[in-house]
Amino acid sequence: MAAGGPSTEGLATRHAAQVSPVAALRGSLSLLRPSEMVRNPVMFVVYVFTLFTAAITIAPWAFPDLTGHGFSRSYYFGLTIILFMTLWFATLSQSIAEAQGHAQAESLREIRSGTRARRVLPNGSLQWVAASTLRKGDGVALQAGDTVPLDGDVVGGVLEIDEAMMTGESASVVRESGGDKTSLLGGSQVLRGKAMMRVASDPGQSFLDRMIRLVEGARREKSPNELALTLVLSAFTVSLLVVIVTFQYTISANPNLVVDLGTLIALLVCLMPTTIGGLLPAVGIAAVNRVASANVVAKSGRAVEAAGDLDVLILDKTGTITTGNRIAVEFHPAEGVDKTVLTQAAAIASAFDDTPEGRSVLRLAVRRGVAREGFRPSAAKVVPFSAERRISGVVLDDGRELMKGAVRSIAGYVGSIPPEVEKAAEQAASQGMTPLAISADKKVLGIVVLKDVVKPGIPDRLRELRLMGIRTIMCTGDNRVTARAIAKESGVDEFVAEAKPETKLELVEREKRAGRLVAMTGDGTNDAPALARADVGLAMNSGTSAAKEAGNMVDLDSDPTKIIEIVSLGKQLLITRGGLTTFSVTNDVAKYFAILPAIFVGVTGIGMLNVLRLGNPHLAVLATLLFNATIIPLLIPIALRGARFRPRTAVELLRSNIVVYGGGGFVTAFAGIEMIYLGLQIANANPWVAMFVSWVGHMLGS
Amino acid sequence: MIPTATLPEIVLIFIVGLALAAALGRYMANVYQGGFSRWDPIAIPIERGLFALMGVDPKRAMGWREYLRGLLVTDAIAIGFVFLLLQDQHSLPWNSLNVPDMSWHLAFHTASAFGTNTDYQHYAPESQVSLFASLFGLQTLMFLSPATGLCTFVAFARGFARNDGKVGNYYSDLVRTFTRILIPLTVLGALAFILLGVPQTLTQAVAIAPLPFAGGGSEIIPLGPVAGWDSIEFLGTNGGGYFAANAAHPFQNPSASTNLVAILLMMAIPFGAPFAFARIVRRPGEVWPLIGTVLIVFLIGFGLFLFAAGSNTYLPASVDQGSGYFVGAESRFTISESALFQFTSVYSNTGATSMSLASLTPIAQTVLLFGMFLQATPGGDGIGFSMLLIYVVLAVFMGGLMVGRSPEYLGKKISMPQVKWAAAALLSHPFAILIPVAVTVVSGNVVPALGGYSPHGFTILLYEFTSEAANNGSGMAPIHDGTEFFNVVGALVMLAGRYFPILAMLAIAGSLSQQDSRPPGPGTLKTRTATFTVFLALFLIIVAGLLFLPVLALGPFSQIAAGG
Repeated sequence: MAAGGPSTEGLATRHAAQVSPVAALRGSLSLLRPSEMVRNPVMFVVYVFTLFTAAITIAPWAFPDLTGHGFSRSYYFGLTIILFMTLWFATLSQSIAEAQGHAQAESLREIRSGTRARRVLPNGSLQWVAASTLRKGDGVALQAGDTVPLDGDVVGGVLEIDEAMMTGESASVVRESGGDKTSLLGGSQVLRGKAMMRVASDPGQSFLDRMIRLVEGARREKSPNELALTLVLSAFTVSLLVVIVTFQYTISANPNLVVDLGTLIALLVCLMPTTIGGLLPAVGIAAVNRVASANVVAKSGRAVEAAGDLDVLILDKTGTITTGNRIAVEFHPAEGVDKTVLTQAAAIASAFDDTPEGRSVLRLAVRRGVAREGFRPSAAKVVPFSAERRISGVVLDDGRELMKGAVRSIAGYVGSIPPEVEKAAEQAASQGMTPLAISADKKVLGIVVLKDVVKPGIPDRLRELRLMGIRTIMCTGDNRVTARAIAKESGVDEFVAEAKPETKLELVEREKRAGRLVAMTGDGTNDAPALARADVGLAMNSGTSAAKEAGNMVDLDSDPTKIIEIVSLGKQLLITRGGLTTFSVTNDVAKYFAILPAIFVGVTGIGMLNVLRLGNPHLAVLATLLFNATIIPLLIPIALRGARFRPRTAVELLRSNIVVYGGGGFVTAFAGIEMIYLGLQIANANPWVAMFVSWVGHMLGS
Repeated sequence: MIPTATLPEIVLIFIVGLALAAALGRYMANVYQGGFSRWDPIAIPIERGLFALMGVDPKRAMGWREYLRGLLVTDAIAIGFVFLLLQDQHSLPWNSLNVPDMSWHLAFHTASAFGTNTDYQHYAPESQVSLFASLFGLQTLMFLSPATGLCTFVAFARGFARNDGKVGNYYSDLVRTFTRILIPLTVLGALAFILLGVPQTLTQAVAIAPLPFAGGGSEIIPLGPVAGWDSIEFLGTNGGGYFAANAAHPFQNPSASTNLVAILLMMAIPFGAPFAFARIVRRPGEVWPLIGTVLIVFLIGFGLFLFAAGSNTYLPASVDQGSGYFVGAESRFTISESALFQFTSVYSNTGATSMSLASLTPIAQTVLLFGMFLQATPGGDGIGFSMLLIYVVLAVFMGGLMVGRSPEYLGKKISMPQVKWAAAALLSHPFAILIPVAVTVVSGNVVPALGGYSPHGFTILLYEFTSEAANNGSGMAPIHDGTEFFNVVGALVMLAGRYFPILAMLAIAGSLSQQDSRPPGPGTLKTRTATFTVFLALFLIIVAGLLFLPVLALGPFSQIAAGG
């Protein structure tokens, strides 16, 4: 757990990564290249038809079959413009999402540019080289003022590191050889110390590089669900193509009907899932961006999607569920001892104890209004904690000995413990708390009870997880009693006490064997195998390189609770896609009712389909097509931000999303088409607009 | 006086039909899981003999490709045999009516129709098929085609239940379908029909003295083993009539009681399949969303059909319709009886007719067309329910996305391989209908067939190919569809509409069977809920509506616009 707690601001905001409108615009235009359009089958069909209507508008004489009686060049001009808008809005959404990613990547790259490092040569001498020439396994000498060239581990010495550029964490961190705090992040600054590091990755393979690549989309592979959805949308598009093409031929059987080809193209494009088809790339890119904004490096977009599917979350007790420090909560004096005396003694005995536990005893005493009367720190003698005696305390200048320690250790020191104190200690222990005995001059005054505190907000988060159907398992090295107490208080579904280093791996294996998707967090080298086996392994940035290598995500803030946010992000990604698809499909119903009457305008009585009462067929078609185009930019914010997601059971979510996206799509389309139609009608009646339309017609030469 | 049923009684008949189907469904599950039954002493020796004769080991499970190969080869041999038989029936025995050989294209159409469970009849049975060809040719296919459907169904179901990559043994499934389901039930149904007055004889016709008002010459009345034919016609959701008039013929459907038996037989397997499925996948509760969806669509459709078939809103108010609108309906039965028979027949893709479909109001025709667009509420034997599973796969996929979880159904992940084949199976249906309709129009075959264009004529054309693509078999006479063009195109449509979905269903079964089953977690989208049931029903209706609204607008809707 990083000292400063979770940072809420992400990379994007931290590095002031503003999306430049010019870049987004330029990107959207360059995405209109055929080679780019082919990648999105739905929009490619629109692309082909846009070119087709454009060709008819420009050179109607080249299509004598299609431009018979009733041909209106300005109608085709309008169609072409709106079709082009549809395409452009789609590429715009993608380019905005990509520009966000680029901005993030750019700010990451700045960290890295021009870094040089002193490589240790085989003969032990140092040589200045560019960071880009370093290879995995190389040794590098670091000292104050250097920039860490690449990810690696400290192999000798101690460094104080500023990782603010990388993680946004302003407090510096200490990295030293041995143990679990060896990891160095490329790009961070050495503040103090001198050490050797071993490079853990080749250039271009570090986490930073991976993150840059991911957000830039260069290596963004489509996730399985995205592929399957693309296939469904494409198949639907092809079917509609068959529906409309056969309709075009079938209609010729009815001599009373002459249907304009432009109207059929409009019908086809309106029915095609252009809303989701246009926004689909943006949704995926934006999801990866959001993960990056949460300061998590995901090694693939796939991992983000997998996070939405989790069944089981294995959480460390310490650091994730509890703050990791035991905190004094109560004093229990021995018989005949005043509680104030005990509190005072405890406070003095802890005066020099710099551990979080010691400080918490002091804080509690102060809160209880106890002053350290007659205590002159300068005159006191500290009795430090020693491995043999296992107690610590203070010898005052008047010779009083105030000691603090585990009940058993104090018993050994004073000789015996009053039975009521022993009983209170046992009772506290049975509730998962830790009793410490306080003695003054070898007389037990009582106990102070310390407790492992559940982080604020954790019970709520765990409840949300249960709603989403995710089971939580707490893993701790504590005894069963303590573990049970914390489990009960926090609300985890299951706990494993007295966990050994290999317990997590066993847990992951057990759950996976049962066919469940498992996530876990970890930071130590011990965790690496379990991180590698888990479906989602979130490694802490403060952890070892081995752990970070094994996991498929790394949290730069080293906040284990972030796994819960990532679950939400994964779900949000899928819901955004599903919701927009449903919206797209129910839109179609309204579009049919707007365009079909326009087609059957020659047939008396088919007006019963014309529920919207759209009188002018050309305007009705243009209004529907315009609605189809404008809905894309209106939904860009949802695509980029992700659909709103509140943890609920799957069935409740389905019900509400059917109403929101299904019903919403239905109503929005009816209302939207009607409004645009009325607008067009008013505009059409305006003499200036009429003049403009006739001018356009004139310029086009029809 | 023939007993007739009022609407409440019709509802009761339907409920009884459902209960019987549920019981049959449980029995079918037992059959396909190789459970013990009372039939064993009779069935086992017969089955052993057949397996020995065919040289197959019924215990050996097959992968989906091998299963499909067995199914296709069996069907191809049978269809090919009947194709040849019909072209040579004149010289074969039992042809006292001197029925001529069929033309190659009519034989192709007829063999394909009976082989694909469509039973679309481009011929008049009385004068164009001999008793020999009928008994050994057509009836063979009438047993084989529902068996093919049921084999596909059970293999599909096993995809969800197994995780060894296998889908079962085709030959074992086929033989057991015959020995334990189709033959015993057909015998039972035939006995019921015989008791109720349906003829069962090898006499091909009787000649009677000329009736006073007929202008001389003796009257030939065709006869035959009608009761047995009837039984497998309805039980097997075949729908081809022994007589051209099908269920409107007094020998095929003499009374309201036989009408009722026919309805129960048509309902038996299609409505029983969801119950069998839930048993086979060992999740009995999962039957509810499936049967629920079928019932939602079936009952809404039936309500609409009953209303639209029983009254004509285009008639002037001065016409008294108090006793019902009987144009095209069987006057021996009540409107409710006729409507339940006709609606069940089309929605179960049996396709037998007792009403004149061309005389129905356009709304009633639209309702029937919609059932064939869906093919799954409940659809034909085995295939109808398998089609529902195709919809389920896609609905679960969309539902999974909507709740933010990778889709899964019955513990199996629904991803690319399943979605790919499900989309192909579902979307092949509009292809099989719309392309031939357009081809007919463009090739100029529509005008000769209909004698000129009209929205009504277009509806007939649409109905023809829809019925063939859905393997339904009902038709809206009159259409001059006995030509080479309609025979060949129609046969191809039936074959494509049959075997492409079967290929997709077995491929999905194979890909599911290769997966390990995941236990249902608390986060899984529970399909056993009212929400999912409604979602599935809406999914069916919207998808079919989006794909077929334009042609409906050209046909029945234009008819409505033109005033019926």
